[in-house]
Amino acid sequence: MFNLEAAILEWRRQMRAAGIKTPDHLDELESHLREEIGRQMKAGRSEAEAFQTAVQKIGRAQKVQTEFAKVEASQTSRERKLKEVLLLGCSILMPLMVGRAVLVRGPGTVGMTAGQQWSCLVAMAAFALMIWGGRLGGYRFPVIRARRRRNVINLSGIVLVALWWLVFFRVIVPGRDFTMAQFLVAFIWAFFIPAGVLLGMTLGLETAARSGRGAA
Amino acid sequence: MYVGGMLTKELVAASTEPLILSLLSRGESYGYALIQEVRRLSGDQIEWTDGMLYPVLHRMEDNGWIKSRWVAVENGRKRKYYLLKKDGHQVLKDKREQWTLLNTVLNGLWQEQVV
Repeated sequence: MFNLEAAILEWRRQMRAAGIKTPDHLDELESHLREEIGRQMKAGRSEAEAFQTAVQKIGRAQKVQTEFAKVEASQTSRERKLKEVLLLGCSILMPLMVGRAVLVRGPGTVGMTAGQQWSCLVAMAAFALMIWGGRLGGYRFPVIRARRRRNVINLSGIVLVALWWLVFFRVIVPGRDFTMAQFLVAFIWAFFIPAGVLLGMTLGLETAARSGRGAA
Repeated sequence: MYVGGMLTKELVAASTEPLILSLLSRGESYGYALIQEVRRLSGDQIEWTDGMLYPVLHRMEDNGWIKSRWVAVENGRKRKYYLLKKDGHQVLKDKREQWTLLNTVLNGLWQEQVV
């Protein structure tokens, strides 16, 4: 006895095995499959025949996957992946470097207290977490497929962060009587937290856009 | 994209984007409907391989020419509808100029050859 739902599930599994893994792509192809099956059955075919014909018409999974892969592997895509790897690398390297500086030279050179050291480490950990959060939690971000719109959003973020740094260095710092250690703590928080928010947001939007989901 | 009919593979490939953009300029639509409409308009001469349309749509969406949304239809199913964006309208205009130019030149040449 032919079970349409089971057959469709198996077809989905085969498509995934051929490399079409994005749920959104699969959903769209399945939606198409069902429309074609409906059309074939209206033309008088049995469920089983309709399913077979519809599957054939979608085309060999390998070929479809190759086309999807071409879109993925375009030049901009490779550049983007490289930038992402560099960013994630920095998000680990920088906290390590700053952490080391703060723990090893902080107390001696600058006169940092333990509290101040902890404060710096927390800031750097937040920095790393925000970047990784953006990358791993990409599915929570709104899907903005058009690259140009994402660039506009990122640019606005950069401008805002730059303005903040300007305010910090020109207005806040001169206005206060910081010790060297206090200045360092303030600087680390003022620099890395906004940077982490910005970079995390950028990564999150990129990841969401790549996910293949339609907006909403 | 090419299954059978009059057009060469190259022509089908080259004409996919202007066809999709032109169809979407008439209003929102979804993949399956686009394929059926092209087949109908061409008298079954242009038959896009069903599965191959979707990577093209995704590329066009990545370029910012169109955008998509999921819509619930009957039986608890859903369909992905595509809509032309401002950039897409501009690209359509450009492509239309290119195809019109080609058409004009070729027609001019062929008319000369009519005895």
